[in-house]
Amino acid sequence: MTASSAEPMFSTPRYATEVSRHTASRRIVVAQQASLATRLLHHPAPTLLLCLGETLPGSVEQESLPSSEALYLRLQMLLEQAQAGTRVYVCGDESFLWHVHRLARQAGLLGDEIELFKQGARRRLYCVHCGHFQDIGSEGECTCGQCRVKLFVREHFSQRLGAYMGVCIDPDSPYAPEVRS
Amino acid sequence: MSAMIEVQVTDVRQLTPVVREFSFRAIDGTLPGFSCGSHVQVILPTEGRTLRNAYSLLGDPRDSGVYRIAVRLQETSRGGSRYLHEQVRVGDRLQIGAPSNLFALHSQARHHILVAGGIGITPFMAYLADLQASDVATPGASFELHYAYRSGLTDAYASELRERLGERFHGYDAAAGQRLDCASLFAGKPLGSHLYVCGPQRLLDELKTLAEAQGWSAGRLHWEAFAAPEPGQPFTVELARSGQRLQVPGDHSLLEALEAAGVEVPNLCRGGVCGQCTTRYLSGEVEHRDHFLDELQRGEALMPCVSRGGCSGTLLLDL
Repeated sequence: MTASSAEPMFSTPRYATEVSRHTASRRIVVAQQASLATRLLHHPAPTLLLCLGETLPGSVEQESLPSSEALYLRLQMLLEQAQAGTRVYVCGDESFLWHVHRLARQAGLLGDEIELFKQGARRRLYCVHCGHFQDIGSEGECTCGQCRVKLFVREHFSQRLGAYMGVCIDPDSPYAPEVRS
Repeated sequence: MSAMIEVQVTDVRQLTPVVREFSFRAIDGTLPGFSCGSHVQVILPTEGRTLRNAYSLLGDPRDSGVYRIAVRLQETSRGGSRYLHEQVRVGDRLQIGAPSNLFALHSQARHHILVAGGIGITPFMAYLADLQASDVATPGASFELHYAYRSGLTDAYASELRERLGERFHGYDAAAGQRLDCASLFAGKPLGSHLYVCGPQRLLDELKTLAEAQGWSAGRLHWEAFAAPEPGQPFTVELARSGQRLQVPGDHSLLEALEAAGVEVPNLCRGGVCGQCTTRYLSGEVEHRDHFLDELQRGEALMPCVSRGGCSGTLLLDL
């Protein structure tokens, strides 16, 4: 069977649009922005909302953290204490989703116990030539911020790295022209 | 079908009135290495027909010079366990298949919960060798063993394991009225927990139901249940490509009938779990007895190791 070019690659992530009906003994909702997570909170199991910035009105148990780094650390601490039967729901841009995904997997959650809800266009790119990570938007080409190679953004996505692969777009002229400001 | 290995029985130990342990070594060369949780098919030339029963390898995977299996004498045996118990002696030669593993340790687990019912302890003997070795299969992972048995009958390795495992051993002796409380196995377990079960179908069913209710995803539950194919009604099968017609007696599986007719179908577990022998059928009534195919797949395929044709009409296989 050959895939037509219109079909996404097998490794291109597919994101949830609705919360699954899986039972859980506890739910942790991790959101880049609390207001975007409201639709993830209507579930009977005990739920904790972990978010950046302003909190939500209402009775949901929530913690707001001042930065992404603080939120990642807090999540790691919570997951260390968590028990099997916990499910994690993540809402944010692609870079955020996969960072949280990696933390959750490292803590022992299985892939199907983590549900990802994508917002926005920001995504992570991995330069296969120098190993540098950078955030990009929806563009198909860019320049590596570390080695300055002009990169083609491949559709192939690595779940382990949480990033798309950037490969040299033109081997005859690999580097972007020096821009001096 | 991979080549068979000729082995010689080097030791036979009667562990309980119904459990016998056999050790094999290769007649030529060495036995292939194996990972914990592996099983082998043992060819049993019983009177009237040849059976191929799958048995877990219970020895230490670091020592593949010898294979050990333990066999429970089944009351309603099709003759395989009875043959091993009553006919096979030290020095005898047998044929076995190469090891294959459908029940491996999860490499990323942090905590392993092993649950054995009776003779279901056998794959865990190899697990425990790995888990207790210095070069552990999953570094840093903890484990606990829950072993339900009846003393004086199915407690084959209970005292040895109690001594070896200390407080990680939890025994439940039905003869003393002790019962394994399955629900307690799930309470307060850390995120990286995986549960492995080998034993009777009802134990597996209970654990599956509980796991789901606790929000454990199916990937945390690993199971193996070898059961000989249940007998059924005789039926007729026709092979579409060769035109052969076969009668399958009530006490033979379809796979055995095919093998007896010289039709080799790839197979591993012979117990309806691995999916290896899945075969397409073109028409006819099927009694599906496997634990592998979903409803959609069952519309066009069956697993001949356990599933059977209906007694009215002919089952037409795409073979």
